[in-house]
Amino acid sequence: MDDFFRRLRFYFRRRQFEAELQEELEQHAALSGRPKFGNLTLLKEDSRAMWTWTFWEQLGQDLRYALRTMGNNKAFTALAAMSLALGIGANTAIYSFMDSIMLRSLPVKDPQSLVLLKWHTRAVTFSRGGQPATVVYAMIGSVDSKAGSEAGKFPFPAFELFQKNDSVLSNVFGFRKTGQLNISIKGQADVAGGEYVSGNYFGGLGIPPAAGRLLIPDDDRAGAPAVAVVSLAFSQAWFGGDRNAVGASILVNNVPFTVVGVTPREFFGVDPGEAPDVYLPMHANLMIDDYPFGGGPAAMYLDEHFYWIEMMARLRPGIGLAQAQATLAPPFHQWEESTARDDQQRADLPALMVQPGGGGLDALRRRYSKPLYVLMTLVGLILAIACANIANLLLSRARARRREMAIRLSMGAARSRLVRQLLTESILLASLGGILGLVVAKWSIRFLTVLLEEDYLHPSLDWRVMSVAAALSLLTGVLFGLAPALQSTGAELMPALKEVRTGAVRSRSRVSLSQALVVSQITLSLLLLVAAGLFVRTLSNLQSVELGFNRNNLLLFRLNARQAGHGDADIASFYTDLQNRFSAIPGVRSVSLSNVSLIGAAGTGTPINVPGTPPDLSTRLLYVGPAYFSTMQIPILLGREIEERDLPGSPAVAVVSEQFARKNFANEDPVGRHLTMAGRDPRDMEIVGVAREARYGGLKREAPPVVYIPYRQGSQKLVAGVTYELRTSGDPLAFVNAVREIVHQADARVPVTSLKTQTAQINDTISQEIAFAKLCTSFGVLALAIACVGLYGTISYSVARRTNEIGIRMALGARRGGVIWMILQQVFVLTIAGLAIGLPAALAASKFVESFLFGMKPNDPLAITAAVAVLIAAAVVAGYAPARRASKIDPMVAVRHE
Amino acid sequence: MGERTEIPPGTLYMLILKTLLRIGPMHGYGIAQHIQQISKEVLQVEEGSLYPALQRMLIKGWVIGEWRQSENNRRARFYSLTPKGRKQLAAEIAEFEKVTEAITRVIQPA
Repeated sequence: MDDFFRRLRFYFRRRQFEAELQEELEQHAALSGRPKFGNLTLLKEDSRAMWTWTFWEQLGQDLRYALRTMGNNKAFTALAAMSLALGIGANTAIYSFMDSIMLRSLPVKDPQSLVLLKWHTRAVTFSRGGQPATVVYAMIGSVDSKAGSEAGKFPFPAFELFQKNDSVLSNVFGFRKTGQLNISIKGQADVAGGEYVSGNYFGGLGIPPAAGRLLIPDDDRAGAPAVAVVSLAFSQAWFGGDRNAVGASILVNNVPFTVVGVTPREFFGVDPGEAPDVYLPMHANLMIDDYPFGGGPAAMYLDEHFYWIEMMARLRPGIGLAQAQATLAPPFHQWEESTARDDQQRADLPALMVQPGGGGLDALRRRYSKPLYVLMTLVGLILAIACANIANLLLSRARARRREMAIRLSMGAARSRLVRQLLTESILLASLGGILGLVVAKWSIRFLTVLLEEDYLHPSLDWRVMSVAAALSLLTGVLFGLAPALQSTGAELMPALKEVRTGAVRSRSRVSLSQALVVSQITLSLLLLVAAGLFVRTLSNLQSVELGFNRNNLLLFRLNARQAGHGDADIASFYTDLQNRFSAIPGVRSVSLSNVSLIGAAGTGTPINVPGTPPDLSTRLLYVGPAYFSTMQIPILLGREIEERDLPGSPAVAVVSEQFARKNFANEDPVGRHLTMAGRDPRDMEIVGVAREARYGGLKREAPPVVYIPYRQGSQKLVAGVTYELRTSGDPLAFVNAVREIVHQADARVPVTSLKTQTAQINDTISQEIAFAKLCTSFGVLALAIACVGLYGTISYSVARRTNEIGIRMALGARRGGVIWMILQQVFVLTIAGLAIGLPAALAASKFVESFLFGMKPNDPLAITAAVAVLIAAAVVAGYAPARRASKIDPMVAVRHE
Repeated sequence: MGERTEIPPGTLYMLILKTLLRIGPMHGYGIAQHIQQISKEVLQVEEGSLYPALQRMLIKGWVIGEWRQSENNRRARFYSLTPKGRKQLAAEIAEFEKVTEAITRVIQPA
């Protein structure tokens, strides 16, 4: 510490210290009887260096010098800083997404000790007809079936089992998404996402309330007072603040609840992809939900084969993941075995997995990790191209400064000192790029958030992301600065000193380094262009998928009257009445409704079959209203569509899709034939029509055979929410207000949700592909532009260097065309070298993105050919300007040119 | 001059400290002379290493510098040992002896 203050004192009184040192050294010389020391200056420098402030002083000098150099080359500085800013900015933005999705821990107490309970089997296939193949008869959500089946849902008895086995885990808490809830407060209605949580959920996570209290175990039992906890955002939106929310009464799906507390601002539950607004005790579902398999909602707490509750827990101190899994797996296995009914079920029982839970549920990570890695690679390539470009620019500047460097070296400057100074320059440049990059990153994050359409992602430029950006700047600065610095200071002194003019030296190795940089830029650009080609083609393939209905001028929205309190008795007439009112809006050509929208339908297998054939689970079901086919403009090929007359009580009818007809009736006429449906809504129906194939359940999936049933003939229990389809003349969004007005008048408790055009809904399902196509195209263009600048610079330099030679050639009779061709040849050599390296790389790399492609193989010849063509064209454009300049050289001037 | 040996690396601080301990406050030239004489002209202290070393020792607080009149009636900076410097000297000597002893053992005829 004393050291520091002595140094500081020295620093402030350095003039005096230097004078003293000078005097001391003179005195020494006088005493020793020698007139002068050999190198007094060096000795002084060395003595002063002991105070190490020298390092900072030199840095200051270097920085001042670097700033001056940058100021003198404004165009160069701007170009370099801009390309770096784009590279660093893009990398920072993507990293901030990775950070928020994959690296960040839940904002709860001690996230490291949280674990997630899951299970896996070799294969789970759900079948409601016939005997189930595993003990998992039904499950909320889906299994992840990449390698066997994996899921995180358990039956409630298993939850109790883990709560009892508390030797390795404490606080085993459960939760389940509520799905969309209808929230009504003082006559105002809207929808909200919610979570059912076990009573120890908040205690287990260890978070404090922002106001009031959070749920406790006593709230979570059948018959407990109906209480709820809401998020801070919700309390602010509805009550103007957390304090006002506590004690308020809210209607959740028409059931009154009392708000007892508010969660803190940063808390978003345990799934980073969600942000529930309402937390209800697990057993509150007895008042809200219906149990799909009979026996009332209480049955789901007893059912050993219905997998629905998700679980997390805390590891006890000193217990590891492996130990927890080893301890809990045997009792879980035993329990599962006790639920198995036959040998087939016993053969593939779910096996327990205890996974780290500090990051919360991993659905979002699974969905985005691969796209983010791909994007990270692409932006990494861009940064590499930008670095190569700046290295190249610096290299040509280094050539111009070789004389300066040679002079400084000959005067006794250490090479390391010069390298340090040049590195200071390049790092300063990179820092400038980094600062601008943060601005670029800020914009890119906004852009990406819109593109990805994830509402709950909040990537931010926090200190972690900033430090990554800073590290990137530093790294790139060293990366692109080191080679030119070493080269310019490693020159042999004599030739460099003898150089009269800059750039007149012929040194093979130097030129080839810059050529190598250009070739590498072309290679990397090719990779990005091929990626762009693949993703653009994928998007266009998706957009040209035959829909089977007209997507234009169609407005979609959802209503859920059941959640607002309408019962079986009036729900169908409520929906029909609304259909009539919507039809009366001027400009609306036709209106219909269905239980889900065609494209958005997930669809579970329904055992529908022609009597006498085995049930086929691939068939999907859609409950539709009258005039559905005419509204959607799906042509009816045979028979009729669903009409007003298909009411409860009249004969049960169905319209089948072309595919269903072909599959079940081959070439016979299906109209008049019968179908039987098993499962939740069993009945016998007569086929009255065949509709042309229409896309059900998204663009990317194989289209299933579909059976359309009049919704009024369906079990009323099943039809809760419906999607309305409005065929409009002109812009569908112009009818939004009229729709809201009508619904509000009909019943203010029913909110209008998911309101969007059919085109927008389709684009939502391919938002990732749209994002990739847009991003990669801009990446490709950016890369190409940077590479062209590099190519242009290199060729221009080569032309300048060969001015003399070209002049002589022309004096000897070379034609201008010949000169242009000679220069362009150089361009071609570089381009073809880049392509020769890039093509195999692109072929190999495109396999990694195979899963992102649609309707094409990774080595799509069209995409690759297009990329190559674009690249060659751009190279010719970049090379033509210097070539033309070369052809304009005046032989007389050129020959005199040194 | 040619037969003079370079001062072994790392021992210069020790030599300077010991000199100051033996003869009291002394200027740079005096220190160099003293080391040369005591070592019977074997060790020659170059100014190029002496002054940087003295600066370093000032920073470390092992010595303090004081301007006084010298024998040729000019001002000279006299260095003198601080308590910290004494401690350092003891430590360096101990370390040096340990190393010398070890080296001796290695090169002893078997």
